[in-house]
Amino acid sequence: MSARAWAGWIALTLLVAALVHAGSLYALPYVVMNRTFSILGDRNTMHHMAQADANARKVVRPSPDLLYSACPYDLSKGPLEIRATIPHDTYWSVSAFDDDTNNWYVLDDRRTNRNKLDLVVQAPDSDHEVAATEHRLVVTSPSRHGLILIRTLINDEDRFDQIDRTRRLATCGAYVPSE
Amino acid sequence: MKFGLKLAAALVVGIALGLFATWATVIYGAGPNALSDGPWQTSLATGSAKSGPYTRAKVAMHGLLALNRSETIYYTAYTDSSGAPLDGACAYDVVGHDPDARWWSITAYGTDDFLIPNPVDRYSISKNSVLRAADGTFSATVGSAAHVQNWIPTARAPFSLTLRLYNPGASVQFEPGNASLPVIVKDGCT
Repeated sequence: MSARAWAGWIALTLLVAALVHAGSLYALPYVVMNRTFSILGDRNTMHHMAQADANARKVVRPSPDLLYSACPYDLSKGPLEIRATIPHDTYWSVSAFDDDTNNWYVLDDRRTNRNKLDLVVQAPDSDHEVAATEHRLVVTSPSRHGLILIRTLINDEDRFDQIDRTRRLATCGAYVPSE
Repeated sequence: MKFGLKLAAALVVGIALGLFATWATVIYGAGPNALSDGPWQTSLATGSAKSGPYTRAKVAMHGLLALNRSETIYYTAYTDSSGAPLDGACAYDVVGHDPDARWWSITAYGTDDFLIPNPVDRYSISKNSVLRAADGTFSATVGSAAHVQNWIPTARAPFSLTLRLYNPGASVQFEPGNASLPVIVKDGCT
């Protein structure tokens, strides 16, 4: 084979390598997020995970000092409503992630005076926008699929039961407009 | 060699090279917007929609569901302060004072990015749990040999440490490469 032919085959190989590298790099976050949605369980349902220990294998690098409640969502059938009790004596946050791993929303206990969270998440192409009220926050997800994650810090092991009870009040489900 | 065989070889080698490049950059690459503060590494773009594909891929594999830096800054150390890889066959002193944040913790993870099994089910020290000296500084021991207090157990194997700063103070948030973070000093190996 001539040197010119070799150069052509090498160029083709490198082009394929570059395309595969770019494609796999872009696809990886979507694949990992969708795998995580499936591992966590039903969509549009709040899953209260046990305090992380060496047996926790669902999400990498969990913090053993936080309690996690997660709701993988699918907005294709309408908006989602998250309700929770906000403790003001420990760190607490609600955050939202799109299907590309981006953290597109976060609210923590220091950024609100509310004791109750009423958060509506709507799709980017929602036909009927839900109106925010004095008691209801409304946010728009950049993607139809994503994840809501509530973190509650165990700042006192002696208060574990109380902290755990409070965070388990969080719910996630289809938004139903009031009459 | 026939044309078909040459084409197949180019495709197979190209695909293998492309996947290897992704694996290598995600596992070993520092990624753009990465910076170091002693042995602690962080990325300014973690969790942000402005993060590029390399940061996203690394976050997906090693720090999924990480919050953005206005809420939490995550530092990870794979080496001690001298640059030597962390290994559970050695003991390390993690020495410092409380970082500028509402709450912080230091947690050990195995090479699989999960918590390390240990007999006392202990995985971290935190602002709430660490015992401090009279001057406010703390010294924690990291390693597989048992200690009574301020101990983060590991297996006798390579590991990493993650320092989480929740509600970071302005000094850390705006200059994460110059934060005053604990040092990691090797105490000895067995």
